[in-house]
Amino acid sequence: MNGRVVALLALFGLAACAHSSMVLLPDENGGHGQVAILKPDGTGETLVSEANSRATLSATPAIHPLGSKGLKPTEAALLASLPPPPKSFTLYFLEGTTEMTEKSAPLLDEIKAEIAGRPGAEVQVTGHTDTVGSDADNDALSQKRAEEIMSLLASKGFDRTIMSAVGRGERELQVPTDDNVSSPVNRRVEVIVR
Amino acid sequence: MVRSSLFLISLAALISSPAAAEIGRIKSSVGSASIERGSNHIPAAIGQELMPGDWLVTGKDGRMSLTFVDNTRFAVGPNSRIALSKFEYDKTKQNGSFVTKVERGSLAVVSGRIAKSGRDAMQVSTPESLLGVRGTRFIVEVRP
Repeated sequence: MNGRVVALLALFGLAACAHSSMVLLPDENGGHGQVAILKPDGTGETLVSEANSRATLSATPAIHPLGSKGLKPTEAALLASLPPPPKSFTLYFLEGTTEMTEKSAPLLDEIKAEIAGRPGAEVQVTGHTDTVGSDADNDALSQKRAEEIMSLLASKGFDRTIMSAVGRGERELQVPTDDNVSSPVNRRVEVIVR
Repeated sequence: MVRSSLFLISLAALISSPAAAEIGRIKSSVGSASIERGSNHIPAAIGQELMPGDWLVTGKDGRMSLTFVDNTRFAVGPNSRIALSKFEYDKTKQNGSFVTKVERGSLAVVSGRIAKSGRDAMQVSTPESLLGVRGTRFIVEVRP
């Protein structure tokens, strides 16, 4: 490599560093989305659509692949400090009750471990029913199911202020059915630990 | 009787739901890291609740990470000033809009349900650009 090329590369490197920039990364599950770079007034779209691309955030964005150099150490450190993805658990219930199925009950210990392992954890508890009974009764039942799980977690020592419970009745069926159909998979509580 | 107990249940639901304005919480913080809410400076302690309009501020040795109620996740690097300018989320419909302003510093984002709910429902503004986030993981760095 001759001196001039090295000088040019150095210049380019400096220029790239002087700008604000963004890096589009692959998603944790393998795919990737896109980021549109617009002017502050919302016009003039430049689409960053390839994962592992760096784009300058200037009036005329320039997009380059990250290449073999990869992320800067500061960027890698930033990514490493992201909180882990939320984890979701589903508990199933006996018909018309707030009693968990035999299979679901042991999951509570896993939920407990997940909460304990996350500093500053929040727990979102959402109750659901199948389509047996009236909408109003199912709203109440789903709320009771969610509150039952919240109480069980509270009895295991978790502060209620980190938890919230909501009942969605039969609005969000896991498996769609006609009205007044008993369905074990729809009688559930979803617990999201964040 | 049935009616009145249902009423009590819905009343209890209203009371037990968390403050409507909470949009997320601090999950970790290191060094100099605080939340500016109006004229208040609140230490970025683990579990600290976040509200729309909050500024996330870190010093030279500071970092923090946070999660939002729509499952968006942030990591904030050193020397940053970042505003949660707008955050609206309908838990039932799982849609909303989210605008973050990066005045300076660095921010890593894993977008959540709001970004999925509509084209450019999640935006990140920097001094020279506006980013429309279309469901993804990315880093923004703003240099003075």
